[in-house]
Amino acid sequence: MTIPGDPSDLRLPAETLLAEPAPEDEFLPVEEGVDPIKRGPSSQFADIRRRFKRNKLAMIGLAVVGLLIILAIVGPLIAPYDPYEQNLLNTLQAPSADHLLGTDELGRDLFSGMLYGLGLALMVGIGVMLGSLFLGLLLGAIAGYLGGATDSVIMRITDIFLAFPYLIGAIILIRTLDPGRQSIFPVVFALILLAWPTTGRLMRGQVLATREAEYVEAARSIGAGGPRIVLRHILPNSVAPVLVYAFTGIGVAIVSMAGLSFLGVGVPPDTPEWGRMISQGFKFFTVPGSSYLWVFPSIAIVITTLAFAFVADGLRDSLDPKLR
Amino acid sequence: MGKFVIRRVAQAILVIITAMLLIFLALFALGDPFASSGDKTVPPDTQAALRAKFGLDKPLPVQFLVYLKNMFTGDFGIDFDQRRQVSDMLSQAIPATVRLTVVAILLDILIGVLAGIIAAVWRYSFWDVLVTLLTTFAIGIPVFVIGLSLRANVSGELFFPTVPRSAFGDQPFWLIEVLLPAFTLAVADAAFVARLMRGSMLEVLRADYIRTARAKGLSERTVIGKHALRNSIIPVVTYLGIGIGALLGGAIITETIFQYPGVGLLLYKSILNNNNPVIMAITAFGVIVFVAISLMIDILYAYLDPRIRLS
Repeated sequence: MTIPGDPSDLRLPAETLLAEPAPEDEFLPVEEGVDPIKRGPSSQFADIRRRFKRNKLAMIGLAVVGLLIILAIVGPLIAPYDPYEQNLLNTLQAPSADHLLGTDELGRDLFSGMLYGLGLALMVGIGVMLGSLFLGLLLGAIAGYLGGATDSVIMRITDIFLAFPYLIGAIILIRTLDPGRQSIFPVVFALILLAWPTTGRLMRGQVLATREAEYVEAARSIGAGGPRIVLRHILPNSVAPVLVYAFTGIGVAIVSMAGLSFLGVGVPPDTPEWGRMISQGFKFFTVPGSSYLWVFPSIAIVITTLAFAFVADGLRDSLDPKLR
Repeated sequence: MGKFVIRRVAQAILVIITAMLLIFLALFALGDPFASSGDKTVPPDTQAALRAKFGLDKPLPVQFLVYLKNMFTGDFGIDFDQRRQVSDMLSQAIPATVRLTVVAILLDILIGVLAGIIAAVWRYSFWDVLVTLLTTFAIGIPVFVIGLSLRANVSGELFFPTVPRSAFGDQPFWLIEVLLPAFTLAVADAAFVARLMRGSMLEVLRADYIRTARAKGLSERTVIGKHALRNSIIPVVTYLGIGIGALLGGAIITETIFQYPGVGLLLYKSILNNNNPVIMAITAFGVIVFVAISLMIDILYAYLDPRIRLS
C-alpha cells in the first residue's frame, strides 16, 4: 500500500509495478547493427539492460550515481577539514577559498561535512535496501510458496507494519531501540523493518503467479525438492520486479533518514548528516547571507535523490516498456 | 458480501489492536519515562508517586486493557508535561489537520488529474514530456526541501502569513494559512496522481469501448471526458483514499516547518519533551484512521467487483 503525504510519499506503490500490462500495440524499435534473429534468446535481465541503455535520463542518473559513489569513497581523502573539528573563531563564514562552502555555527567546514554526509547517506540507503530485500525476498517467497497458515501469519505481520504511518513508525521504533541517540544502526534497522513488508508482498504476489507455471510443475514432477524449486525455478522468474522496486528503496531510505534527522530523531547529534545540517542551518535563515547553510545540503540531497529516481524510473520502464 | 465484510472488519480490528499493543509496549514498557537520566535526578518516592499518578504501577496487561477501555470512552489520559487532557489537545489539533488534508487532496486532484489527462491524450507531445519531467522532479525532491524553500522565500510575502504566526492581532483566515503547507504536501502527491492517471488513461484509451464510442461519432470531448475518464480514475481514487488516511495521521515534517497547529506539529512537540501519552494517542489515531480508510476502500472494491470477495 502506498502512503502518500509527507516523506512517506516516497514509498512508491509496489502495485504499480505489477500493473496489468496493456496489450502491446507497437513494435519496439529495432536496434541498429544487431540482427534481431542472430541476437538469439535473451533473458529478462538482458532485455531490461538493453532497454535501460536506450533511456537517456536513466543513463544520466546512472552516471551521477556512479560519480556520487566514487565521491563518497574518496571523500575522506579529499575533504579539506575534519568534519567534526570546531573552530569557534571562524563561525558562520560565508563560502570562500578557505572554506569552499563556508562554515557552520561551530566553525565546522560545510564542504567536508557534506562529503561525509554523502558517504553516510549512500551507506544507509544501500544498507536499508539490501536488508529489506533480504527479509522481503525470504518471507515473501516462503509465504507465496507454502501458502496456507504460514502465508496468513506472514501477511498479517505485514499488515501490522503497513498500518503505521511511515515516519511515525520509524520515530517510535528508533526512540525505543536507541533512546539516547547513540548510533546510526537503529535508524537503519527501523527503516529495514518498515520497508520489507512492501517488498515481501510484491515477492509473494510474484511467487503466486509463478508457482503454477508449467515449468514448475515439470520440475515438481521429476521430483525436485521445495528449496530447489524456489531457488532455481521460481526465484529467477519472479525476482526482477522485486529488484527494481528495491532499487527505488535506496532513494526512499536516504530521504527518510534525512527527514528523521531533520526532526531531530535518528542520527546522533553532531553527525555530519544532510538532514541535520539542513535543520541546523535553517535556524539562521533570518540572518542575511546565511542561506548557504541549508541550501547546499539541500542541493546535495536533491541531486542524490533525483539521480536515484532517474535510475529507478528507467529500470521500471525497462521492466515493462509497454506502459511508457 | 456480508461474510467478506465481517472477515475484513475482524482483520482490521486485530491489526489495530496489535499495532496499539506494540506502540504501548514501545512507549511505556521499554524504558522508564520517570527514571533519572543525565543531570536530572528523580528521588525514588517521587518516581513512585508519578508512576501511581499515571497508572504505570500496575502490571502491564492491566495498564493496556485500562488504556483500551478508556480510549473507547474518548479518554486518552493526561499528558506528562502540563497535565492536560490528551483528548482536548487532540480535538484542537485534528480540525486543523483535516483542513490541511482537504486542501492538499483538492490540489492533488486539480493538478494531478488534469496533468495526467493532458499527458495521456497528447502522448509523446511537448506537454507529455514536460509532465513526465516535472513529475520526476516533484517526486524526487524531498518534502522538507520544498517546504523550507517556500517558507524562506514565500511566507510573509504577498498575502501569505508569516511563520510562525504572530501571537497578537488578527489571526489569518484559515484558507490562506493552509495554502503553503497544503501545496508543499501536494507537490509529490499530485505528481504521483498525474503518473497514475496517465498510465491508466493510456490503457483505457486502447480499449474496444473507446473505439466504439469514437466509431459511433461521439465528440472527442465526450469520449475523453466521459468514457475514458470514468474508467481510468479508479487507481487515482484508491491512491488518494490511502493518501487521506496517511495525511490525517499527521504530516509531521510539513506541519513542523510551517508551525501549522495540527496533529503533526503536536506529535513533533511531544517527541521533543518525551510526552508519551500524547505520542501514544496520536500514533493510535493515525493507525486507526489509516486502517479504517484502507478497509473502506477494500469493501468498496469488493462491492464493485464480485471477484475480489471470493478470492
